Formats: sequence, structure tokens, C-alpha cells
Amino acid sequence: MALLATLLALRKDPRIQRLPPYLSLIFIIVGVAWLLLLPLDEYSRETYVSENALLPGQVHTYFTGSEHNIFRAYRHEVAALADKPVEERSRALTDIFRSHNLKAATQKYTYQPSGRNITNQNVYAVLQGPRADATEALVLIAAWRNMDGEVNYSGVALVLTLARYFKRWSLWSKDIIFLISGDSTSGPQAWVDAYHNSHSPAAIDPLPIKSGALQGAIAIDYPAGPWGHRFDKLHIMYDGVNGQLSNLDLFNTAVNIANGQMGIGCTLQRMWSHKNTYQDRLQTMLRGMLSQGLGHASGPHSAFIPYHVDAITLQTVGDGWHDEMSLGRTVESLFRSLNNLLEHLHQSFFFYLLLHSMRFVSIGTYLPSAMLLAASFSISAIALWVQSGRPDLDTPVPNPASTHPSPQEKKSPSIEEEKKPTAMTEVHLDTHKTLIPSALLTTTERSLLYPTLFTLLSHTLGLLPLYLFNNTPPSYLPTLLNLSLVLSPALPLLTASFLSSSPPLRPTSQQTTLIQSFSLLLLGMFLAALATLNFSLAFLVGCLCSPLAFTRYLPGKKIASAAQTLLLAALNPVVVIRAACWFWGADVGDVVVRAAEGWHVWGLWTQVVVWEVWWPAWFAGGVVVGRGLFS
Amino acid sequence: MSMDQQKALLFGAAAAVRLVLFTAFPSLPNLLAGRVEVSTPVTSFKRLQEGLFLYTHNVSPYDGGIYHQAPLLLPLFSLLPDPSYFPFATNLLYTAVDLLGAYALIQIAESGQSATPRLFQSSRKDMRWSSVAVAAGFLLNPFTVATCISHSTAALSNMFILTAMAKASQGAIITFAFALAVASYLSLHPVLLFPPLLFLCYDVRASRSTAAPKLALYALTLTAGFGAACGLLLYLSASLTGSWEFLMSTYGVRLLLPDLTPNVGLWWYFFIEMFDSFREFFLGVFWLHVASYMPGFTIRLRKQPLFAAMSLTGIFAIFTPYPSIADAALYLSLLPLFRHLFPLMRYTFLASAAILYASFLGPAFYYLWIYAGSGNANFFYAITLVWSLGLSIIVGDSLYAALRDELDVERPELRGKEVKRI
Repeated sequence: MALLATLLALRKDPRIQRLPPYLSLIFIIVGVAWLLLLPLDEYSRETYVSENALLPGQVHTYFTGSEHNIFRAYRHEVAALADKPVEERSRALTDIFRSHNLKAATQKYTYQPSGRNITNQNVYAVLQGPRADATEALVLIAAWRNMDGEVNYSGVALVLTLARYFKRWSLWSKDIIFLISGDSTSGPQAWVDAYHNSHSPAAIDPLPIKSGALQGAIAIDYPAGPWGHRFDKLHIMYDGVNGQLSNLDLFNTAVNIANGQMGIGCTLQRMWSHKNTYQDRLQTMLRGMLSQGLGHASGPHSAFIPYHVDAITLQTVGDGWHDEMSLGRTVESLFRSLNNLLEHLHQSFFFYLLLHSMRFVSIGTYLPSAMLLAASFSISAIALWVQSGRPDLDTPVPNPASTHPSPQEKKSPSIEEEKKPTAMTEVHLDTHKTLIPSALLTTTERSLLYPTLFTLLSHTLGLLPLYLFNNTPPSYLPTLLNLSLVLSPALPLLTASFLSSSPPLRPTSQQTTLIQSFSLLLLGMFLAALATLNFSLAFLVGCLCSPLAFTRYLPGKKIASAAQTLLLAALNPVVVIRAACWFWGADVGDVVVRAAEGWHVWGLWTQVVVWEVWWPAWFAGGVVVGRGLFS
Repeated sequence: MSMDQQKALLFGAAAAVRLVLFTAFPSLPNLLAGRVEVSTPVTSFKRLQEGLFLYTHNVSPYDGGIYHQAPLLLPLFSLLPDPSYFPFATNLLYTAVDLLGAYALIQIAESGQSATPRLFQSSRKDMRWSSVAVAAGFLLNPFTVATCISHSTAALSNMFILTAMAKASQGAIITFAFALAVASYLSLHPVLLFPPLLFLCYDVRASRSTAAPKLALYALTLTAGFGAACGLLLYLSASLTGSWEFLMSTYGVRLLLPDLTPNVGLWWYFFIEMFDSFREFFLGVFWLHVASYMPGFTIRLRKQPLFAAMSLTGIFAIFTPYPSIADAALYLSLLPLFRHLFPLMRYTFLASAAILYASFLGPAFYYLWIYAGSGNANFFYAITLVWSLGLSIIVGDSLYAALRDELDVERPELRGKEVKRI
């Protein structure tokens, strides 16, 4: 209790009230430094297979010899279908599956995101496991076209060959579904939505045949043409839509089998040469975070992860000496491992950052960095709240206890004023009287309605770009982006000058401080919640918003206000997106079109974070700073 | 704008918000009715539908162990058209229920019993919000709106609790006894509100006439009336269902906690973890804990009975077995009646930030646990702890403020001095 009383007494100490900005700064620095420490040996761990049932690489693989001839034949069949219309292709693929004595079916799907038209067909076949009771299934996917739009000749041929090969084995204790999806993102999405009956029946066909609960999915991306191509490494993609990841055990099993059993090197996040140095690890981690933060679909596997189906894509890269048979044996061994599973993958991590194919950081180690960033905003919010409750905001009153006369008193050194006693209130009780300093009896009232409404309105305003960017036809999207590139940075200034020029709407200093406090509180809260769902996105947005914790309403200091305004204008979400596209050489029009597709097809939520978390916080911060220019 | 115009505008706006949400997002009621934060096993509309189906097919609604709500709700809801085909009538009913609750809140605010009860004049009694502002705090509270949209029957209990408080603060004993009896009949724990509201009723009655009636006699009469009303409701229920079995499926469930579906409260996790042999003991302890606040508050806050009753609703929102955001909504909407205590409260920002954080992190963690499969029960339970912490800070802080307010009147020379706990 004594400690509590001491702490409570400290509230009045002016030094405490000067502390928060420094505390915020320390939190941000520690948060970022924390992330930079992660690639070190001391903070990351070697990957390990946690689920005992998987037993990766413990089986002999028999996918060799004559299967190679069959594979080559199918590759030519597939190559012959490359220029054929979709219906004919589907029919031919279905016929091949049927010739293996598999139940096969096709599924048509149509998506119309923001005026574009995506129409295609999925072909799939179900192998009923000889020891299975149709309650569990594994999926083997090859998209007809991969993420770069190339025809996946060898990938599709390999799936067809493996379908024929798997059918002959009697050891499957789960059903196996072979899926040739029309493309790499919408196709798997339509299929997996329909598999779980959550598709929109008007545009997407239901699935005529189904199996049990999906336990895992492996996608193959091997676009080598009809004459083959030997590859060097397997590039494993593991991140799903909205930054959800597949279970680390699946990734580890794939790496273990490819590396240990087949001698194929594994790589991730487009790090074609990885020397396992600090720099390479850091780069891998940052690329992984960026990809997770954007939350886009990175391959055919991405659509499965939101349904809690662990999935990865194996992509062949480089020129080397591994051929399609090594890849086929890798897939065979992987399926034998998954076939062993007694229950859904749950042992290992769902939240991790991979630094190397054999090294990772788990959530307990990395989460504090994003939480520290989020906390820095909360601290600033609390500090601003306390500041708004202090009486000396609008008119600085001299400290009555101070022995030094304040500048104002020096100007008018009349005796009465200097001798003026502290205001006292007389209190009566029965016949007794007592004098109490009035200052102790008054509390500064905060007017909360205006700041609350302002914060709510700025969040409501964010719905407008959210709607526009997701529903504008693609041909107008770049224009819209360029328009908002001009409008968005100017909007807070216009708002601030409008609010300053119309007296009934002009916020007082206290209200301005409270606007910033509330918006930072909400930002801290959203980021803390987001950090648990998509760590990378929360971290990126937190970093980009970090100046908002330090900018202040500075009435009368025009130059400082202008500098703050410029800094914030440079960190406007639209400006940042444009600059990022320029830096990575991405076509900005393509990015916004893909984002709109993601919103409509994959259920992408990144836009909501940008327009409902980041942009309103930035807007409120901009108005608060802008008020300083027009005060 | 005159008071009546303001009221009409507020009621119109609140009804419009609800009806627009109902019509613009037809899937919203189902979504919210499935959220554990909004509907509990004892208030869920989905379970009510199940009970209703059994009831209309002449099967006991309590067969199957899904339905745990009061039997008299069944004839009421069976009068309405089926909400899956024609939801408008149900929507209208729930909107009306909220508006009636707000109307009761306006009556409480206008009675002035919050700042100037008979035995006590707050030194800050001029500091108050208009009754319309208080009602707006109830009607536009997102928690109230979510409860209404989800069709949770907790909205009905809230309305009857507010009506009971309003009638008590007007000294209308018959309607008070009946409203509180219905509230207790619907959700059992409001019975604990009877003693403080009895004092409130008595104080109002005593301040009106020069010769105050005898407290003992008054209490006896009112208790008898309350008991009779409860008895009548139970008798009607028994004759409706044909047996007294409903007692075990409704109040038995509330008391013995057989359904451990997660909720925002503190009980479910404990009772999942608990060894069966200790279950009865801890049930007793937990209930004793909830009930023990009632005599304490009633006696210590004898001078401010409405405040005692309000603090008890806060205790219900934290410590009852099946709380939901509806209980928190009730407490948080009663709090603005005590605007004069706000300057004395010390942790408002901390507590509101905790509640705000919990209401966003809660769904996120529940999603991680149930849908993404990447979290577990501890995630969600940790957040319900934060939620309860935020509410209990407000309850404790407002209690401190109320007592400090009394102290300021009793010992004016101590005003403005820091207090120390010894």
C-alpha cells in the first residue's frame, strides 16, 4: 500500500509527465532492434519435426523406371492440350483420370472482381484409399498455369502420372484427391470453397464428388516444357491468404525429405542462393514478413490455408541435375508421410518466421517486437490523455508556489496582483469553517463528444477509398490511385483549415489533444489485435505509423508544424504504396487490380487494415498537426 | 430543441439504426447469435428457436437439453411469425424492447435519485447529464445494439431491470415488484437487486409524505408482493409446461453450470479445469461470492440505494456464471446517471482502454482458437480476464468515488485531500 501511495504521489511530478515520448521512442527502438536480433543463432532455432507419426523419409520410394516413360508420354499429351479450348482440355484430362479407374469431375467457375471476368474450369479426381473410410483426404494440386502465367506442363503431367501410380498401391489410409486447377489462385479458391459448401452457387459449380476432411495439400509448380528441364532446387512456398501460415511440420517434412532423402536443396522466399549468414537470414525473414504482411495468395496452396488445411507449393527453380523423377519421389515420400497422420497437423507451430530452410523463430520470440510497437502508441495516447486533463492548456497559469515571477507578471508588476493570495474556498460545517485552496476542488473537465465523433468519422471516411478501390473497373484504377495520391495527403490540411475557419467546428486545444489521444489509442489497440493474427502486417504498419506517436499539436509554431506536416505527407498510405511499387519495380496498376481480385475472390483483408486502421490514424494525426498551421 | 423533440429524435434515430442494420445485413442476427460474447446458453436466440420448435410440436421444450430459458417466453415468441421467413416482427419486438428500456432509463434520470436521494445530497449534484444524453448512452452503445441485433433474450431481462429501477425511483410499488419479478423470473440473479431497490422505493415514498411509513411493515408488504408476483409467474410456467421440471432446466442450469460453453465470464474455464469432486464446493463458493456483494453494498450504501443497485449490475456483469456483453451494456448505461461521481474517479481512461482492448482482442483470439486452430482456450480466457478486470476497475473506482462523495459531505474540511488506505 505504501508503494501504491508513493506511485500515486508521483503522478503529480512534472518529470513523469515529460517521460512518455522518450518511453515511446525506446519502445520503438527496442521493437525494431528485437527484430534485427532474431537471425542470430542465440534467438532462432533449428527446425525439427514435432509430429511423431510423420516419420519423414523413412520409406523406400518406388516411383522410378518405367514410370518415367509414362510421365514423358503424359507430358506430350499435356503439351498437345496447351492451345486447346478449356472444355476440350477438361474433357481430355477427365478421360485420363477415368482411364486410371478414378472418379473424375470438372467444376466451372466465374469470378467478376471489379468488372473483370475470370472464367475457367477445374478438373479433379478422387482416389478412394483402400484402407480409408472416406473421412480424411489429401490433395495433390497442379495448376494449369502457374503464378507467372506459364503453362505447368511437367507439373500437370507429374500429377497425372502419380495418380496412375498411387492407384496401384494398397497402403493409402486416406483418400487422395488430384486437382488440376484452371489457374493458380482463383481456381483452387473456387474448388476449396465448393468443397466446404461456402461458394456462391450462381457463379461457381458445386462439386459432384467429394471425400472426407482435407488433411493436407501439396501443389506442384514445374513449368518445364515437353522436352523437360532439369532443376537445381525446390522453392517451398508456405504462406496463405491474410498471412496465415501452414503448420511448420508440413514444411519441415518437405525439407527433410527433399534434402535428406533425395538430396534436393530447398530454398524459400526467392532466396536463390542462401549462405546461411546473418545477412541472408535477415533478408529471408524480411521477405517472408513482407509477403505475409501483404497477405496475398503466393501459390495454389494459399487458398487452402484459411480452411485450416495445411498446404505448401513445391516450385522447381534453377538449372541443375534433378529431374522430374526426383520430384515425383519427393512427392511420393511426402504423401507416404502424410498418410501416416493419425490426426490433423497440430503439434508444431502455426506462427513462425523462417530464416532458412532449417532455421526458424517462433511466436514467443518475435511477438514482443510488434507488441512493443503497438504499446508505444498506447503510451502516447495515455500521455496525451493526462496532458488534456491538465488545466494549463489554453492559457498558461503561473505556478502559485513558484518564487520566480513569470514573464506575464513582469510586464504588469502591480502590487495587488503579486500579493494576490491563492484562491480559497470557504467550507462550513455546523459552526466550524475551513479554507481549502480552490484549485484542489476543481477538476478539468474533458469534452469527449467532439473528439469521439471526429475519430469515428475519420474511420467512417476510410470506408470510401475501401469501397472505391475494390469496385472500380480495372481501367480506371491507376487513375484513381493517382488522384488519391494528390488528394489523400492534402485532405488533412484542407480539413484543418476548414475546421479552423468555422468557429462552431473549431476544436479547442484540449479537443485537439484528445483527438490525437483517441486515434493513437485505437491504433495501438488495432495493431495489438492484428499482431496476433498477422504479425508482419502489424509490424509494417506500426513502423510506418511510428512518427504519429511523436507529432504534436503546436499552436503558433508554424515552421515546426509545417515540418511535421511534410513528414506525415511522405508517410501517407497511398504515397507509401506508390513508393514501394517504384522501389520494387512493380507495376502499380497491376498491384491495385490484384488487390481488388484478392478482396473479391480470396477474402483478402489487407485493404481493411490499410483503410480502416492505418489511414484514419494517419488522417487524424495529419489534422492535429495541420491545426498547428492554421491556429 | 425542446426535451420532447430531443427524445423523439433519439428514439427515432435508435430505432432507425436497428432496423437499418436488420434490413441491410440480413445475416447479421445469425452471425451475432452465434458469437459466444453476445449470446450465452441461457440467452441464445438459436436455442430459443429450438425450444419454440419443440413447444409448437407439443414436446416438452426442455427435452434434449438445449433450451434453458423461461417457459413463458415460448407463448410470447410463438405468437410472432417464424423469424427465418418473416423476421420483421421479431426485429420490431427487439427494437421496441430497447426503446422501452431507454424510456425507463429516462425516468430514472428524471427522478434525480442518483445524485439527490432522500438521505444524501451530493456536493456535486448540479453536475449531471440530461436524461436524453443518458438514454443515448444506452441506445447507441454498440454492446446494446449488438445484443438487440442478436435477438438475445438478455435484452428482455435488461429492459425489465431498468423498468424495475425506474418504478422504484418513482415509488410505484406494484409495477416495481412486478417488473423485478419478471426480471428475476427471466434470469434469476436480478433477485439480488430487490433489497437495494426496496430501500430506494421506501426512500422515495418517505420523502413524499411527512409521516414516513414503518420500514419493517413496508418491507414486509413489498416482499410479500414480490414473492406473490414471482409465485404467480412460476405457477403460470408450471401450468404451461405441465410440470415443475422446467425449474431444473432453467434455474438449475444457471445455478449448477452444466453447460460450459465459453463466455466472457470467469466461471467456464475454472469449471472445465476443476476436479469433479470439488465441483459442488466451488459452485457454492462462487455463488456465495456473487451473492455476498448484495448485503455489503446495501448496508454500506444505504444512503444511495440506486448506486448500490447499479454497482450490483456491474458485479453481475463480471461474476455471474453466464454473463455476456448485454450485462456489461446494462451496467455501462446506468453509469452515466452518476455523472457527478466522474470527477472523483481515477482510472476511467485505464478501465475504458482495457474494455476497448478486450472487445477487439476477444474476437481475434476466439478466431485463433476456434477457426484458425492456431491458438487455444487460454488465449480467449486471458482476454476475458482483461475484460473482467476493466469492468471491475470501473466498479471499484466508482465505489471509491461514491464513498469519497459521502465523505466530502460529512467532513467538508477533508475535501481535496489525498486519501490513504490503511
